[in-house]
Amino acid sequence: MAETRATNKNRKRTLEASIVIGLTLFLIFVAPLILSGFRLGLLGRFLALAIVALGVDLIWGYTGLLSLGQGIFFALGGYAFAMHLQLNLAGEGLPEFFGLYGVSQLPWFWQPFYSLPVTLIAIVVIPGIVAGLLGYLVFRNRIRGVYFSILTQAMLVVFFNFFNGQQKLINGTNGLTTDTTILFGQQVGSDRMQFAFYVATVIVLALTYGLCRWLTRGRFGRLLIAIRDDENRLRFSGYNPAMFKVLVFAVAGGIAGAAGALYTVQSSGITPQYMSVAFSIEMVIWVAVGGRATLGGAVLGALVVKWAEALLSERFPEVWLFFQGALFLLVVTVLPKGIVGWLRDDAVHQIRDLLGLQPQLSTYPDLELDPDVKREQHELAGK
Amino acid sequence: MSNKILEIDNLTVSFDGFKALNNLTFSMNEGELRVIIGPNGAGKTTFLDVITGKVQPTQGKVRFKGKKLSGRAEHNIAKLGIGRKFQTPRIYLNLTTRENLELCCNQTKSVLATLLKPTPQAELRTVGGLIETIGLEHKADKPAALLSHGEKQWLEIGMLVAQSPDLLLVDEPVAGLTDEETERTGELLIALAESHSVIVIEHDMEFVRQIARQVTVLHEGSVLCEGTMDEVQNDPRVIEVYLGTETSITSDQMLLLRIAATMAWADGNFEPAEQEIILDRLSRQFAQESAEQAVLKTELKDLLAKRIPLEELVPQLKTPNQREQALMLSYEIISVNQINQREALTYQTLLKLLDLPADTVSRLENATLEQLSNAH
Repeated sequence: MAETRATNKNRKRTLEASIVIGLTLFLIFVAPLILSGFRLGLLGRFLALAIVALGVDLIWGYTGLLSLGQGIFFALGGYAFAMHLQLNLAGEGLPEFFGLYGVSQLPWFWQPFYSLPVTLIAIVVIPGIVAGLLGYLVFRNRIRGVYFSILTQAMLVVFFNFFNGQQKLINGTNGLTTDTTILFGQQVGSDRMQFAFYVATVIVLALTYGLCRWLTRGRFGRLLIAIRDDENRLRFSGYNPAMFKVLVFAVAGGIAGAAGALYTVQSSGITPQYMSVAFSIEMVIWVAVGGRATLGGAVLGALVVKWAEALLSERFPEVWLFFQGALFLLVVTVLPKGIVGWLRDDAVHQIRDLLGLQPQLSTYPDLELDPDVKREQHELAGK
Repeated sequence: MSNKILEIDNLTVSFDGFKALNNLTFSMNEGELRVIIGPNGAGKTTFLDVITGKVQPTQGKVRFKGKKLSGRAEHNIAKLGIGRKFQTPRIYLNLTTRENLELCCNQTKSVLATLLKPTPQAELRTVGGLIETIGLEHKADKPAALLSHGEKQWLEIGMLVAQSPDLLLVDEPVAGLTDEETERTGELLIALAESHSVIVIEHDMEFVRQIARQVTVLHEGSVLCEGTMDEVQNDPRVIEVYLGTETSITSDQMLLLRIAATMAWADGNFEPAEQEIILDRLSRQFAQESAEQAVLKTELKDLLAKRIPLEELVPQLKTPNQREQALMLSYEIISVNQINQREALTYQTLLKLLDLPADTVSRLENATLEQLSNAH
């Protein structure tokens, strides 16, 4: 019994790993042959958004923390990378925009971003630390549920206003452009660099998926689900849920940072608009559409919604927002488990029902479909 | 007295001036199974809340194995070795039975250990054993949401044990269970009490009788009385708080009532005629005026509990006069209809226990019969 469970689990894991590796290879080697340069660029950006969706699934789908402020961490990662690229372009001097505001001295916090390794670490670690700190303050005071959501949205607005207003520090509302900047002697906006970023995005997405899967399987993952189900009960079992929540929130923050950096370099730059309220809510919608607590659903949801947005807004630019609202309503009312959740739990059953193929059961499915019971019935019939 | 597992001194908890617990003092030995009863609003659940750290005391101290508990967070208290089962089963519905137990079984509950260390073999074995103990083998890998109410209750008790605490706090474990499930739960708790100290809070008196050795009655936030089940049930103060009316009955009178009730139950059939006699005689005996008697009659009616072994009741009769009264009343009750074999047997037991001289017995019996025939 225990052994069959273990082998089943192993088989499932191998299957999942091969699918992920297969898709990764497909995206890197086959997709560029099928898609035009423009479409491939879109796909790269959407895959970057799928990364942040994985983080949202980790904290919302599994742990039940509905954060409406993931844009903060997304933008922090983006700004970190953009700052490095700006410094790269300026070389010995100051980035150009400083001249507009009469700034002659580089602000202190720009200094570390001269170094690429530091920047790459900062892209993940700074959002992670900010998320961890905010999370610690919130979770330690046992702020939960809708109050947590409101608080994250409030933090988002605070960060937005700060970045929007500080021209002399980070070019305020204009943001930082990246496509004219230089990395490894190449222009970031060039086709070769864009393709390199696309490949990097696919790889980071696969790695992030692996990380999230590792976190959500086993005892830690079950603990996250327990936090979602009944956090207070967990305290009486001897766990301190606050620390677990701080950790996943920080991890999701780091993931958002990486996603933000990859999105920024594929979208020609970053502005404080990345911290708009609507964008952060959109992230939640992707996960809801794809299916909470499925990981695969988060990726699928981000891709489906964004791709639909791209196609629809080409034809009917005004209606996209209505469409997005309708999609969200549809998911909440008809597919509460999202696309992947529906496929996993109900699809087979419902489609069979529709086609009239459902086997007629006279007792409980539990009992009648049990392999042991079936075997016994067979043996009895044989006698 | 160093082996006290729990000591509570002058504990007061007030919510905006309302004292949920009021100067409560309580202590319990290691290895004891203690049942706490009390009417609604007596502070039973608040009592557990304070021990587990959910509520901080306004005044007073709680010591667990000599360590002060106030100021500690819930999870730290749980780590010290106090496990709690909630009134309505609180389990993790999206995890399977096995996963629920595994989560509680984890001995190192820090973030990193939970993340990095795989579940040790020993813990897996413990979980396997526990699943058998609570009788859920066939549902071990089903989500806990699919369990029935009784199974959820057992799973939660299992989760408590998985934590391997020294003190189990069990809040109404049989609420909403069938009689059969109740009995199984009782057996489970008694088995657990062999290796743990247990506090059970319960409303179901039948169940309390099954498991209780020592009972504490809470009322309005303080301990009203403590003792064995029988002592507690005969205590007029307890009856008073449970029935909500002030009784004028003394504990001596109560005892007489209990013996009468037990005699009436002797043939396994409490007839209305028998009840009428008991109420009539006793109310006349305890009160002078007819108005008082009528009030007393309805009051006594509520008190006719089930039978309690005579061996426990009779030795509590102190004066010869009381013994004689008990005899007369009992004889009258069984004489209402044809005395059957079982009634006769019970009566013989009573006589033996009363240990009155033979001539007194026959004199009293005759007097009773005379009274009866006069009444007709």
